[in-house]
Amino acid sequence: MSKQKESCIRATLASATCALLGTTSLTPVNAQEEPHWEFDTALLYYGENDDRVEDISFNALAIRNFVDDRILTLSLGVDSLTGATPIGAMPFDGPQTFTSPSGLQVKTRPATEIPLDDTFLDTRYALSASWQQPWGRLNTFSAGVSASKEYDYLHLGANFKLSRDFNQRNTTVSIGAAFASDELDPVGGAPMPLTQMLEVGNLSNRMGEQDKDVLDLVMGVSQVINRNLVVQLNYSFSSADGYLNDPYKIVSLVDPITGDPIPLPPTGAEQPSHQYLFESRPDERTKHSIYGQAKYYMNGKVLDASYRYMTDDWEIDSHTVDLRYRWPLSDRSYLEPHFRYYSQSHAEFYRTSLDNTAPLPVYASADYRLGEFDAITFGVKYGWKTESGNEWSARVELYSADGSVPTNLLIGDQAGREIYPDLDAIIAQFSYHFDW
Amino acid sequence: MTTKPLRQICVMSAAIILGACSSLGVEPWERDILAKEEMQLIADPLEVSIDEHIYFSKEASSGGRGFGGGGCGCN
Repeated sequence: MSKQKESCIRATLASATCALLGTTSLTPVNAQEEPHWEFDTALLYYGENDDRVEDISFNALAIRNFVDDRILTLSLGVDSLTGATPIGAMPFDGPQTFTSPSGLQVKTRPATEIPLDDTFLDTRYALSASWQQPWGRLNTFSAGVSASKEYDYLHLGANFKLSRDFNQRNTTVSIGAAFASDELDPVGGAPMPLTQMLEVGNLSNRMGEQDKDVLDLVMGVSQVINRNLVVQLNYSFSSADGYLNDPYKIVSLVDPITGDPIPLPPTGAEQPSHQYLFESRPDERTKHSIYGQAKYYMNGKVLDASYRYMTDDWEIDSHTVDLRYRWPLSDRSYLEPHFRYYSQSHAEFYRTSLDNTAPLPVYASADYRLGEFDAITFGVKYGWKTESGNEWSARVELYSADGSVPTNLLIGDQAGREIYPDLDAIIAQFSYHFDW
Repeated sequence: MTTKPLRQICVMSAAIILGACSSLGVEPWERDILAKEEMQLIADPLEVSIDEHIYFSKEASSGGRGFGGGGCGCN
């Protein structure tokens, strides 16, 4: 396969996926003349420390290139998830017993440990399809649909994007929208917010199926600066409406002096050891993001740098910096180090516990993902092409998130306790790209 | 009404940006480097979608590059 054709295939693949993801893409330089299929496949392992979440996943993209720049993109993803995840309860110097999400059994966690739910087990199937075609000489239109299914979650979505080239195709302006309608059917039923975790068999505070709608809008411009530099700038708006709680997350009621959970008086039934409330989040969330990216070619090496700022009406602000440096080792192989830095502030209603003598707030969540933390990803990818032009690649990355709890959220004698569940994860991926 | 000034600002901004951009760029025969696979804004689309799914499930932010992701009960 000629290098020109390889470039063309990858450019087409990138363009098609941009349509799927709703991103801005400069129009590929070469049009593919012969209809053909391209496949991008990946096997992924994701594993967290302390036997927390483990995911083994298979992902594939199939691209059908027709004449006249029309492109059909199909994607498939299968995730097998197991392990344990923090449920939000405050750790203390004694064992704690929780009713399982199904409400059918209790689980006891050891003293001082950050309480985890180890009944986490799920398989996720995700499918999507999109169609992209020229619309007039300078416009490109794409439309797509997506669906995914987990045991307790169903997602259905649709998206479209329109882009127009200017300035001899050196400038591309895009606008896109995506709408998702998701249904949640949590194990045991969705708990009513800020109600107590009850004894085994008592599902009186559980509700039926819940749903949420998400609208995303993306506007972007990409610009060729010179032969070696291309840049992109996007603005994104996202509005979510509906049930936005995590039905499996709880908040501990604690003593204002000791900061320890309040014991639940025994009734003889199998029940939680302490008083825990199911979390409560607002039923609306609006996010705004600015994203900038630059790709710079330096004598065969390519620097890919991006920055994202996000802010939302839950008062979470975040900054993300992503750097990749592709370093060719030969005509057919390369090494690509990757560094990512992420930092977020905590949600306005993030609480690691609630004072049992104070009035309850309207909203409260101890979900560590809504807390204040920094995360760093370090990794490296090695890729090589076979003589027939197919490409293999392997990457290994380490993701490390380190959180902190602001002192104004600590209650009583909680200072010095390990409350925030820091996270270390390994990401390993093996990919293969081929034509059919 | 605030919509009319807003529209005017948007139109003027777009005109300024496109005007400024018109002095940038390359001729069609100068795209040899830009056409390379590694110079595409998304050079490895499958890896990008995998990463966005991982970070969506572990962080409170998503999207920016494209749509906000989602379609999972992990966040």
